[in-house]
Parts: sequence; structure tokens; C-alpha cells
Amino acid sequence: MIPDWKIERFLTGDLPEEEMKKIQNLEATDEIFAQRIKMLREDNRAILNKLPFETLSEKMERARIGSNQKTLDFSLVKLASAAVLVLAVALVALISQRETVVAGTDVAQANGGAPAQVALVETQSDTRIKGMEARMEVWKKTLAGIVQMNNLDEAREGDEIQLRYAVPEKCFGILFSMDGNGALTLHMGDGEKAVELAPGKMNSLPFAYKLDDAPHFEKFFLVTSQKEFAVDEKDIDKLLKRNDVKVIGFTLKKVGK
Amino acid sequence: MVYRRCVQLLRDSSEASDLMQDVFVRIYSASDRLDMQSPSSLLWNTATRLCLNRIRDKHRHGLDVDTSSLLLNIACADDEQTDYETKNVLARLFSKEPESSRTIAVLHYVDGMTLEETAQEVGLSVSGVRKRLRGLQAKVKNLEVK
Repeated sequence: MIPDWKIERFLTGDLPEEEMKKIQNLEATDEIFAQRIKMLREDNRAILNKLPFETLSEKMERARIGSNQKTLDFSLVKLASAAVLVLAVALVALISQRETVVAGTDVAQANGGAPAQVALVETQSDTRIKGMEARMEVWKKTLAGIVQMNNLDEAREGDEIQLRYAVPEKCFGILFSMDGNGALTLHMGDGEKAVELAPGKMNSLPFAYKLDDAPHFEKFFLVTSQKEFAVDEKDIDKLLKRNDVKVIGFTLKKVGK
Repeated sequence: MVYRRCVQLLRDSSEASDLMQDVFVRIYSASDRLDMQSPSSLLWNTATRLCLNRIRDKHRHGLDVDTSSLLLNIACADDEQTDYETKNVLARLFSKEPESSRTIAVLHYVDGMTLEETAQEVGLSVSGVRKRLRGLQAKVKNLEVK
């Protein structure tokens, strides 16, 4: 019998790899246990519908303002970054299991913006990948030029974003994002299937796109594997929890226009 | 996860949804000091602690508390380690400071974590957990420290 606390960790993907695998196997082989997991996932969706994130967000924002007034030397950037991180992790189990929409390959249209080519800094184009890990870069077009963004940086509706990636070895990969509305957008892939990626250089996606008005965050996932795989729009967690895939995440915090 | 935890301990969906928001706000307010190595643990333990406080406060005010006698006893135990809010040292909860003995007791006795799992959860040694539970045992009936 797996205790509740461990199942909750399983649902949020916050268990050691060995235990994750053990429970995944149990889910695949034990019908009753699988039903229990299914019910919890449905419960997550119901909770999110009943207690929308917007309500909580407002309350947290008030807390933030209150904290700032009390503490003069408080680091707002640090606070916001950490809070987004907390939310991103805490809400993965809830948000990622909502009904999602795969927009297909026409990402620019899916995001409500016209396709836009963004000329990236030339010196980056032939950079060889360092180390043995896949990498993902997020760039933003501004009036001053193209700037590379850091994880948890702020972004706004209408910002033009360009994604780049590199992998250390030949593999299959897919790149998608999830926004604060729980909508999934595919940026690189053959439909829902991963495409074969060549190792070496940083690769820019052939298009940039504009961020839409989804609130709170836009989280990007670069998922790679030695085997072919696909993302199930209705259960992203299933892919992210697989042992045979590597996941790189990158979160932009959405702020007002 | 947080909502279900609150419902489990409070047995009241309305209170649980209220407290769930408090959990996030508390963490958010102390986010410059939090340790994000295990976010699930942070959320779970913070929810546990706030639920215990709620149960204790209701009991002190003479309100009906729909909970098991074990949980009620733990919640109302006089634990010198738990008075974080009044001492304004929330940072301890989010740094490497171990959780309160009350929370440790709930993890072990209510959630069924082994001593080893509890120790890992709260950043103490097994003997440290045992010691804390024994300290609480003197104040709470039906707590058997193995």
C-alpha cells in the first residue's frame, strides 16, 4: 500500500527516480492503483476549477506588497523569482493536468501573432555545445536589439520570443510550452511526435512568436530522448516523468503589458 | 496536494480552501529564505503546521473540532519548538532548521512515515527524530516511540 503522502509526491514528480519508477510500474500493472491515481488527477482538475489560480495570485500579490512595505531592504526580484519557482513547481500537478490544446506546428498563429523572423546575434550561431547536456536558450526582441533571457525573467504580452537549443548527441526531441492558462503550445515537433535532432551547434527555431495574454507564466520544456516519443496533450506529466527522457525547463514570469 | 492535505487534517472543505491559500501566501512571504530543494515537502509540512495551528486555535476557543483524538492531542501539545510565528522566525522553517515536534509527530503517526522517512523529510537524524518524539510523548497520550 503506497501511503497518501508518497502518492502526492509521485503526482508532483518530486520523488527519487527509483521510487518514481516503482510507482509508475505499479500504475501500469495494478488496475486498482491506476484507478486511484486517475481519481486523484481528476480531483486536481476539479480543485483547480473550484479554486482558480487568479484568486490565489491576487492574495499573494497583496502579501508581497505588504512585505515590501514592512521591509525596506527586501529584494523584490528575488522574491518574485522564488515565488514563481514555488508556483511553477507547486502547480505542475494541477495545471499540467488540465485540458490542454496542442496548437500544431503553426505556433505563431496559435499565439495570436504573425510569424516573425528574429535575427539572432551572429556570434552565437556557430557556438559548439559545451558539456554533455542539452541546452535551451530563450531570447527576446527589444527595441535595443535581441537580448538573452534568464530563467524566471519577466516577460509581457506581445513580447517576441525566439527559442534556441543544442543537444550533445543525436537524439529525438520536442519543444513545447505551457502558459498560465494551462494551454500547451508546440514549438518544435512533428505534430505531437519528437523529431530527430543533430548534435553540435545551437539551433534557432525557424520562427519567433509573440506571447499572448495568458497570465502568470510561460514555461518552456525541451524534452529529449534516445528513443522516439510523443507528447500526450492530455497528460504531459506522463512524458515528463518518464525515466528515458531528459527535460530542460525554462520559465518566464508574465507581468502586465 | 495542499488542498487535499488540508481537507485530510481539517475535515472541512471550506476551511481547507482558506488554509490552502494561507500556505501559499506564507511560503510566498518568506520566499527569500526558503529552501526549494524539496518543494513538495515544503508545501506538505507548511500545510501540516498551519492545520495543526488551526485545530489548536479552534480547540482553545472552545469550538468544535472534527478530528481524531490523536491529531487533536498532537495539535494541542505544548511544544516549545513550534512557536515560530510568535517569535517571528519563519526563516527557520524554510532553511535547514528542523520542523516542529508536532509536525514531526503528524508525519510519523498520522501519515505513517517511517522514522527514516520522517528524518529525511525534516532534515534530522533518526535519533534526532526519536528524541523529538520522545519529548512530545511526555505531553501527548498514545504516542509510542519505537
